[in-house]
Amino acid sequence: MNPIQNVPAPLSIPIPSPAAPQANPAGPSFKDLLTQSIQQVNTMQHDADRAVEAIVSGEDVSAAEVLTAVQKADVAFRMMMQIRNKIVQAYQEVQNMRV
Amino acid sequence: MFPSLDISTSALVAQRARMNAISSNLANLSTTHNEEGEPIPYQPRFVVFEPKPIGSHGASGVRVNSVEIEDVEPLYRYEPHHPDAIQEGPHKGYVAYPNVNMMTEFTDALEAARAYQANLGAIEIAKDMSRQTLRILA
Amino acid sequence: MLDPLFQSTTIPVLEQVVGFAHARHQVLAGNIANLDTPGYRVRDLSVEGFESGLRKALEARDRARAVSRAAPAASPGMAGYPAESKDNRALIAHVAKDAKTILYHDDSNVGIEHQVTEMVKNQSRHNLALAILSSQFRLLEAAISEKA
Repeated sequence: MNPIQNVPAPLSIPIPSPAAPQANPAGPSFKDLLTQSIQQVNTMQHDADRAVEAIVSGEDVSAAEVLTAVQKADVAFRMMMQIRNKIVQAYQEVQNMRV
Repeated sequence: MFPSLDISTSALVAQRARMNAISSNLANLSTTHNEEGEPIPYQPRFVVFEPKPIGSHGASGVRVNSVEIEDVEPLYRYEPHHPDAIQEGPHKGYVAYPNVNMMTEFTDALEAARAYQANLGAIEIAKDMSRQTLRILA
Repeated sequence: MLDPLFQSTTIPVLEQVVGFAHARHQVLAGNIANLDTPGYRVRDLSVEGFESGLRKALEARDRARAVSRAAPAASPGMAGYPAESKDNRALIAHVAKDAKTILYHDDSNVGIEHQVTEMVKNQSRHNLALAILSSQFRLLEAAISEKA
């Protein structure tokens, strides 16, 4: 009489939620890596600013050290920007996908 | 970068002072009396250098400690009619001339000039180094 | 809105350094021009005075920043920015104005070597500050145009 009731409930297939990327137990997630890199770039910028203020205030730092710090921060920032551009591009490509 | 410039400059100033002393010696080769008119000949002068610490890494520049007057016996020449001739004593009739050895002074002058040029070269190199450092920034 | 854009970099500080180096060059060039003038006294702008003034301005700015960061509730959002940035700019601009009045006269026989060396050192400082300033502007442009 109730054939539907005899049908067992289908096994629930776990749908991977997009909000929580699968954390690989061997290493940090992509999100963590990203935020970590951004923090690093910020730290390098701060270090470069400190170095510039030090040499301008007359402290005993060599110009080569200051310029190297500034250039490192520069390169790190530009690299971060390229990574961000690529991520945005990939996101837009996914958005434009016809489902 | 900057201390090396200061060090080389101190050397330039010291060598110039030395050159001044040498020039005054050469100029006064035949000066038989001093400013007050007394028949005391010109005594050659020489400069005494000493190190002067500059910067933080133990580097030292040079400083003129003092300009000394050499205490040497003058040269005597027999010129009884010279106004500065000695009137009495063992050197009667002699005029006291400064004991300045022209060859020695001129050689010292050459050495001072070469040292000046060498320090100028060091300044050029220091300037070039600081200019090249800006190339880090591409 | 545009002020904090520059306040967060070292651009205002470097501006002051370049301006000071420029002013000092004029004074040193005047010295060399007057080397043979009788009774002329050598003049200079005090670098130590400028640097210590800059240090004090930077420390004051850091203190102001720490205060505004520690009490975010007191300075809500963008409204807190203008006050802080004006103070920072005023502090750092104050240094340059003082620098022009720290002329000192000495009558030591320094001669042309010393003047030329000071000019070379001044030029080095100027070029260094200018190079870092240009690189900072290029970085800002890269960030704005999103084209690294």
